[in-house]
Amino acid sequence: MTVTEPKPSYKYVGTRPVRHDGLEKVTGRARFAADLNMSGQLHGIVVRSPHAHARIVSIDTSEAEAMPGVKAVITGDDFPAVEPGHRQYDMCINVIARDKVFYEGHALAAVAASTRDQAQAAAAAVKVEYEVLPAVLTIDQALAADAPVLHAHMMTAGANPPAEEPSNISNITRFSGGELDAGFAEADLVIEREFTTQPVHQGYIEPHACVADTGQDGHTTIWCSSQGHFNVRSSTATLLGWENTRIRVIPAEIGGGFGGKTTIYLEPLAVALSAKAGRPVKMVMTRDEVFRATGPAPGTKLRIKLGVKRDGTLVAGDAYLIYTNGAYAGPGGLLGAMTVFESYKIPNFEIEALDVVINTARSAAYRAPAAPLTAYAMETMLDEIAEELGIDPIDFRIQNAVTEGDPSTMGFPFARIGFVECLEAVRDHPNYKAPLGPNQGRGIAAGYWFNIGESSSATVNLNEDGTATVVTGSPDIGGSRASMALMAAEELGIDVYDIRPVVGDTEAVGFTDVTEGSRATFATGMAVVEACRRMVVELRGRAAKMMGVEVDDIDWVDGQAVYTGSDGDKAPLSVAEITAKAKRTGGPLTATGSLEAHGAGPGFAVHVCDLEVDPETGVVRVVRYTASQDAGTAIHPSYVEGQIQGGVAQGVGWALNEEYIYDSDGVMENPSFLDYRVPVASDLPMIDAIIVEVPNPAHPYGVRGVGETGIVPPIPAVANAIYGATGCRIRDLPMSPIRVLDAITSNGGSNGA
Amino acid sequence: MAVRVHLSSNLRGPTGGIAEVEADGSTVGALIDDLDRRYPGLGDALRAGVSVVIDGLLIAHPEYEPVADGAQVYFVPQTAGG
Amino acid sequence: MSRVHVTCTINGDPAEFLCDGGQTLLDALRDEVGLTGAKEGCGTGDCGACSIVMDGRLLCSCLVLAPEAEGTTISTVEGMASGDDLHPLQQCFLEGAALQCGVCTPGFLVAAKALLDRNPEPTETEIRYGLAGNLCRCTGYDKIVRAVQAAATQITATNES
Repeated sequence: MTVTEPKPSYKYVGTRPVRHDGLEKVTGRARFAADLNMSGQLHGIVVRSPHAHARIVSIDTSEAEAMPGVKAVITGDDFPAVEPGHRQYDMCINVIARDKVFYEGHALAAVAASTRDQAQAAAAAVKVEYEVLPAVLTIDQALAADAPVLHAHMMTAGANPPAEEPSNISNITRFSGGELDAGFAEADLVIEREFTTQPVHQGYIEPHACVADTGQDGHTTIWCSSQGHFNVRSSTATLLGWENTRIRVIPAEIGGGFGGKTTIYLEPLAVALSAKAGRPVKMVMTRDEVFRATGPAPGTKLRIKLGVKRDGTLVAGDAYLIYTNGAYAGPGGLLGAMTVFESYKIPNFEIEALDVVINTARSAAYRAPAAPLTAYAMETMLDEIAEELGIDPIDFRIQNAVTEGDPSTMGFPFARIGFVECLEAVRDHPNYKAPLGPNQGRGIAAGYWFNIGESSSATVNLNEDGTATVVTGSPDIGGSRASMALMAAEELGIDVYDIRPVVGDTEAVGFTDVTEGSRATFATGMAVVEACRRMVVELRGRAAKMMGVEVDDIDWVDGQAVYTGSDGDKAPLSVAEITAKAKRTGGPLTATGSLEAHGAGPGFAVHVCDLEVDPETGVVRVVRYTASQDAGTAIHPSYVEGQIQGGVAQGVGWALNEEYIYDSDGVMENPSFLDYRVPVASDLPMIDAIIVEVPNPAHPYGVRGVGETGIVPPIPAVANAIYGATGCRIRDLPMSPIRVLDAITSNGGSNGA
Repeated sequence: MAVRVHLSSNLRGPTGGIAEVEADGSTVGALIDDLDRRYPGLGDALRAGVSVVIDGLLIAHPEYEPVADGAQVYFVPQTAGG
Repeated sequence: MSRVHVTCTINGDPAEFLCDGGQTLLDALRDEVGLTGAKEGCGTGDCGACSIVMDGRLLCSCLVLAPEAEGTTISTVEGMASGDDLHPLQQCFLEGAALQCGVCTPGFLVAAKALLDRNPEPTETEIRYGLAGNLCRCTGYDKIVRAVQAAATQITATNES
């Protein structure tokens, strides 16, 4: 089902062609990073810290170097020194530790050998002497007055007055508006709630992998999967102290990222090993390594107080948010502060957000970073308030929802957005009125994400036969090739299957930022459109030559150059007719578009979760799920639905099962898909996706990013539905069976307050 | 050229908490230079990881972005994503 | 350590390879035979990305030692299509947009074929439980389940006509 505003009618945009890379992927031929092998390649293995916090006293690699098959061993000493203040200091000392390790699994050396077994044996023979330090494992420990300080240089940014002593608080963010006390004085109802959440992993199925081949000339080629190969190039070059031009990165297919592959882990190690050994080096993480050493999303402690008038008008909000970003500074708290009150008109507010470091793996972005957690707190509290006031939860949200012109938390007025439309879409959907059975509950929740623009490049090459190749710098994570081809087909007027969308390497296409912030179809799509429009200008010029007329008398209509002048009739010329004569009219037809995309339109989503709670076991089963989201314009609706449905599944897992569990020394206890349980097919029902289309005025086709927003509402939607089924408000994640059962039994099913 | 500049609340230290200020400049960079003259220290704050919103468009790297007379310019923290 | 010589049938063709005694069948397929369709997502039998069928049984090839393949008949995703003709499951996955990143897709296709081979008309619940050994982190499973339903309908119709 699609809710549509009046919009131009398109021939290709909005259709559902088979994706261009699909055949390779259903036949097992698509090459993901671990599928690549080079002749003569070595296998690289990382040596990782068993301690959560320790000083590295010494590393002795001599025994490992003498072992059979071993061709290179590297440590932090093989990389240029970095000092605090360096632009990418955290990334550098995370990829390979220098004087200290900051979490269990922190890389500190690497070995390359002829076989993986040899490399593993040699890695085990690297002797590391540690001075074990007390580990800081929770937010409370990090903030304790006598807490060990992880980073001696960490002076809290944003502190007022400025910090004079180092601490574990990397950053404080404050936003405010109106008069908080006056706002609460106006309120008829004030509630304050606290929430805790644990780190979770993005859970992409493909572990990080790469092959690096450093030649005699000192230039290197890296094949890897990432969310942005230009970032792999620049980050690797930074770590090695090289110029970017010494590195070429060729993107493999990427087996999921969700934010976790916006940063790098293996590539500089593979390059350094390859340079030392003079051979290509392949490195593939195990799932255990992925869990221990890559990307968790932050855990949090959140406290929010809301004031509302009897008529349902929100008047005041006070938020105190603490995010842990693992062992290094991170943006969790900042992004939490930017999202917590963003969806609603709250005239009087104060937000304080802390980013805190602890001895766990460095956080990476995860789909709408920070927003699902602030939504968990806010949207469950709104549910409580709506019930207390006797107002329908959707009507209550519509009453307070931001619309065009309302100020954001940061002060600027929103452009055209589709929040109310998303609320109305679920309210009007038959699922919202479907009957519920015994022990079942229904929860609704909304979500918001900014989306971002950044830099993108595209090149369009018209081939001799009139087909087109569209090269972009954005890895195809979930069907973006098809989206690029659809926009190019619309612009050029040629069939979508006559367009070959290609992801170009760092030497084949212009600079393109990482695929993050749901930006590929939005920003890279804009670059494709720009390139195509330049191509159409060129095509009109060539056609004018062929017809012997002025270019101003040529229009481009449905893939043909059409003469509009008054000098008699002239047969239109197709792309194929023009490309066939390209040699005689000026040479090959190529056009590029490179831009910094402005105006990424914010995305809103509203979800309704129906679930059943087994009162004997506390097990929660989702029985029906409805998700609306404003896509602006859905370029390929199937993949927009897919993004929404995938966000729901991840969010449901986050709500019900997923969490990092550490022992008292900071060693992760559940680093496998057996013990870190992500949803499987039998855990979920069909997910009814409703695409709402409120076009983004800043994009030629009205696109808003859709990748991230869908993960924001599920946690509170599930929590609200559990309340509906049990009368229990659960304010700690995950809402696992034991926690649900505890809530039911210890509170007699009535801990709603 | 007079431009109305709005500062998100985390950027108001150098203005003593004032949210809206006047500034002159035909580009965002020139505005920042002018604001730094009026409120010493504000320039550094606005050059470090700050985006602007002009006419509803979020612009992440706005230094050379032109600003029309009478425009409303909102300085906001830079976002990230997954 | 001397290597083990294994003779078996893979996707209908006779095959031989040398492997280490401790090597997994997944690694042997990928590194010795050159069939990289089966993926390693976990190495512990929890994600199903390495699903294959050996002597009629759906298995995680990361949990099988390569020498155990001696004398067996193995099917992988590479053997699903007949020449240019895709298996209905492959076609329905394409048409139904049942893949996003695509790294779990080979495992799902192999597992779904094994399911339909023994239960040609599964209910939605049977499909969901039949595929519960395969993890997908992109799609939320909706379009995968629908694609399997569509393929089942198509296969049944073809067999009846």
